[in-house]
Amino acid sequence: MIRTDSTLAVQITSLNKWYGAFHVLKEVNLTIPSGSRVVICGPSGSGKSTLIRCLNGLEAYQQGTVTLGTVRLGDNARETALARRQTGMVFQNFNLFPHLTVLSNCTLALRRVLGMPRAEAESLARHFLEKVRIPEQADKYPAQLSGGQQQRVAIARALCMNPRLMLFDEPTSALDPEMVKEVLDVMTGLAQEGMTMICVTHEMGFAREVADQIVFMDQGSIVEQASPMTFFSTPTHPRAQSFLHTLLH
Amino acid sequence: MQFDIAFALSTVPSILSAIGMTLLVAAVSCVGASAVGFGLELIRRSGGPGGLFVRFLIDFIRATPVLVWLYCLYFILPFYGIRLGALATGMIGLSLYYSGYLAEVFKAGIDAIPKGQAEAARALGLGRMDMTVFVIAPQMLRNIAAPMGNYFVSILKATPYLAVLAVPEMLGRAFDIASDTYRYAEPLTVAGLIFLGLALLISLAIKRLEIRLLGPTAR
Repeated sequence: MIRTDSTLAVQITSLNKWYGAFHVLKEVNLTIPSGSRVVICGPSGSGKSTLIRCLNGLEAYQQGTVTLGTVRLGDNARETALARRQTGMVFQNFNLFPHLTVLSNCTLALRRVLGMPRAEAESLARHFLEKVRIPEQADKYPAQLSGGQQQRVAIARALCMNPRLMLFDEPTSALDPEMVKEVLDVMTGLAQEGMTMICVTHEMGFAREVADQIVFMDQGSIVEQASPMTFFSTPTHPRAQSFLHTLLH
Repeated sequence: MQFDIAFALSTVPSILSAIGMTLLVAAVSCVGASAVGFGLELIRRSGGPGGLFVRFLIDFIRATPVLVWLYCLYFILPFYGIRLGALATGMIGLSLYYSGYLAEVFKAGIDAIPKGQAEAARALGLGRMDMTVFVIAPQMLRNIAAPMGNYFVSILKATPYLAVLAVPEMLGRAFDIASDTYRYAEPLTVAGLIFLGLALLISLAIKRLEIRLLGPTAR
């Protein structure tokens, strides 16, 4: 099925997940309209990373449904694979392939998954490296780059697959403070282009500026969901209040 | 009886004429053991009943002497109508035997790769095969170049076992000369020195490979 809209809506219904006896996600319900930018925050261990990892099949869940666009994950293997392919993921630790150059990191999936010829894949990869403002590093290896540069390469690598939904799992948490901004700038640029984005992050400045929805999680549940303005000025849940208090002071 | 250097030198051409057989057996067994070992390790990792069986098989292989494998393949398989030549039997025997050890080496090499690598590959949509070939295997090789080289040297040094199947390799040739002339020290020393030279060459090649693999890409 060919869809013309370039972004993907996400619907999470009654999602439950256990690690053994530990209930990590409790009855999570979340609707993310196409083109929106959601920031998920909360204390460590609240299940926020687990939640977004459920959206692209990196984590299995025991109950509930996840719908990407029109496809319910797990119903049909081929459609599920296709929906996942339209989802890009950026990890906390970049997870670039250390044995491949920056350019090859970006072209591997284009060539192996989409069967794109080398020349075409490379020119596409260079286009996205340009977009994350790092075109001159194309022939280097990841270990030769700074953390901020590596994360921007990881974003370019995900964008190469033409995703309609981008997931960010604490993309700046492993970075030195002075490199956080260059990554956030790239993400802000993406948001301005209308990409559907779900970001797990502690960068409240970014959340305030870019998000149109803040989701606050605690102990596996969504306890507060609001616009940035409401969330930062008048959080209702006591856990969110204390979280913001420790972050801002 | 003293060590006769002139006699030792006279045995060199004859022993060297069997170096091709030794190298052939060693090379085929190295490739075979690596391929089978990698396959075994992939099955073992995939879990399930197949994984459980392979786990047992690897331990079984490593717990039996290589000579038992060679004798079994050569003398017992024909009872079941499977007749392999001595050379083929020898190479299959060494490949199977060392595959058990190499599987363990591959396991360590794969375990050392951060979990995020496979996750990134999956998030990009790469299939299991592409992930194995383009993401996991190259990084595994970087991790295990040195121990893998050690086993390649071991395989080279195990080629004389094929003497029990009358495969004409170097040490066998040296023994032929010895029993013809009743002089053992010289031909065996010559064969030993040639093995030493070959082993050093392999080590050197592996060192260079390791440096190349690690080069500018080190994590």
